[in-house]
Amino acid sequence: MATIDKINELHAKKEKVSLGGGPDKIAKQHDSGKMTARERINTLFDENSFVEIDAFVETRSIEFGMQKKKVAGDGVVTGYGTVNGRLVFVSSQDFTVIGGSLGEMHARKITKVMDMAVKMGAPFLSINDSGGARIEEGIDSLSGFGDIFFRNTLASGVIPQISVIMGPCAGGAVYSPAITDFVFMVEKTSQMFITGPQVIKAVTGEDVTFEKLGGAETHNSISGVAHFKSSSEMECIEEIKRLIGFLPDNNLSDAPIGCQCDDANRIPEELNEIIPDGANKPYDMIEIIEKIVDNGDFLEIQKHFAKNIIIGFGRLNGGTVGIVANQPKFMAGVLDVNSSDKAARFIRFCDAFNIPLITLTDVPGYLPGVGQEHNGVIRHGAKLLYSFSEATVPKINVIVRKAYGGAYIAMNSKHLGADMVFAWPTGEIAVMGPDGAANIIFRKEIQSAADPVEARNAKIDEYRNKFSNPYVAAARGYVDDVIEPATTRVRLINALEMLASKRDNRPAKKHGNIPL
Amino acid sequence: MKKYIIKVNGNQYEVEVDEVRDESTSAPQVAAAPSKAPVQAAASAAPAAPKKDTVVPQGAATITAPMPGTILKINVNTGDTVKKGQVLLILEAMKMENEITAPKDGTVASVNVAKGASVSVGDVMVSIS
Repeated sequence: MATIDKINELHAKKEKVSLGGGPDKIAKQHDSGKMTARERINTLFDENSFVEIDAFVETRSIEFGMQKKKVAGDGVVTGYGTVNGRLVFVSSQDFTVIGGSLGEMHARKITKVMDMAVKMGAPFLSINDSGGARIEEGIDSLSGFGDIFFRNTLASGVIPQISVIMGPCAGGAVYSPAITDFVFMVEKTSQMFITGPQVIKAVTGEDVTFEKLGGAETHNSISGVAHFKSSSEMECIEEIKRLIGFLPDNNLSDAPIGCQCDDANRIPEELNEIIPDGANKPYDMIEIIEKIVDNGDFLEIQKHFAKNIIIGFGRLNGGTVGIVANQPKFMAGVLDVNSSDKAARFIRFCDAFNIPLITLTDVPGYLPGVGQEHNGVIRHGAKLLYSFSEATVPKINVIVRKAYGGAYIAMNSKHLGADMVFAWPTGEIAVMGPDGAANIIFRKEIQSAADPVEARNAKIDEYRNKFSNPYVAAARGYVDDVIEPATTRVRLINALEMLASKRDNRPAKKHGNIPL
Repeated sequence: MKKYIIKVNGNQYEVEVDEVRDESTSAPQVAAAPSKAPVQAAASAAPAAPKKDTVVPQGAATITAPMPGTILKINVNTGDTVKKGQVLLILEAMKMENEITAPKDGTVASVNVAKGASVSVGDVMVSIS
């Protein structure tokens, strides 16, 4: 064979690989509203930046006619490229090749790029669109899954790991996304579940559709498994790019600095009017966040799950900050099982990747109820205290209104190691709300009064005037300063600059034992 | 050029001000003193207490109580058309007047609670078809 023929053979082989399962299957993929594995990569990565690895890898299996189904690439496209100029490693399952099923060599391709991502300290992105384990390859397929989970775990806290569900992701396959930091789903075309509707029907008799069981809506609003949902794959990819923009490459690097085009001395006067006069009136905490962060740009995470707490990324004078805030507009902003869980995992992500934490506190307490207690609100609520205490990144708390009891302590208080605690003049830092406190402290006076109702109201007022303000806590130094709301942005930026050189250590240990 | 000493939030700044003269000199603008937003006139007298429905029509989406509390106000009646996000009722819980909003566009199929009623977690309050 002449050299030119050899080169032509190479081109022909590459051409064949790029077509995956062939034109018919690609058309079918498009018909179901999905892009192909390569189209997704090309949309996500900067133009011509993607470099493929292992295009010629194929299955070693010869059982059950696998040698006839053999296709170069083995149902997954892997490699690296840049997203807005930054190095990212990727694996993208190809549903047109043997249903994107995961066999031994398919898994080996994925683990290879995962190892590279860790070595190079760059984010790893896994696009899932697969029928699951390749049954024909038996235990070798299971081994492949295990190898991926193991690497997901080792890479956790070292590089950001993002899972994108753009098709089925069933059975054991779901545990890789579950270990990673962020899970994206697309409405109507992506599902995640351990056992599918048929098995559920056979075992429990329950009738459920794929979408209801494990669609984007379900995992974003009910289970809390996913962090983002989009109405199309294009929209999903835009969200991924936005998220990556806030994240550092690895645990030893800093997050990229934003444009610094919003005045660091900006005083949003509107903040002085946002807290309603009545302490039992709700308002939208998102408005406060958007007025404080650079250019009002706030990327909310898990927007549809446990809406009583808000988590997400913003920037202050260009630097990424992780924001945790109670949402008085939803369930009074209480802490409960789900909101504690949601916030704790986010706090640990920020701490692992050196992202300063900002808390905006307006919390009436932990949610009372038999259901909460029986579902382990003690165990889950403890995660919040644990994760704030454990975090060594700069920690700043702004108490905007209520901060009562145990919930006050849990929300990044001075006692858990917050570096700076500010309170607005509307702050109410107390062991409990005035009504409840008056009932307990003045029970006898109220009972023995000529007019118990009036006596009770008088005592409530007395308690409110005495304790429902930020100055009692400020007098003890638990609050570092009481600030005018409009100056919050300036004060936060100033505090972050002061804290930039923060050094804090925890006792040497293998790892702690967070209540899970 | 005039020099001023300005205090902002307790910090002292020295500021130099140079007046720019324009042909069409307008009257100096006086900043209005901050005032509170005008208090909205109280809503018209509350309608007679609506009849409470006891059943939920088949196929209607139910809106259940997220927390134990008391119904402070009901804004809708059976048969009303509602838009997603519209406030259906106010549930007082955890010392907060919580707005319960419509999860989707539709018609109110039933109102299952009355003003002043106590509800537990999961109780059906309103249904929308």
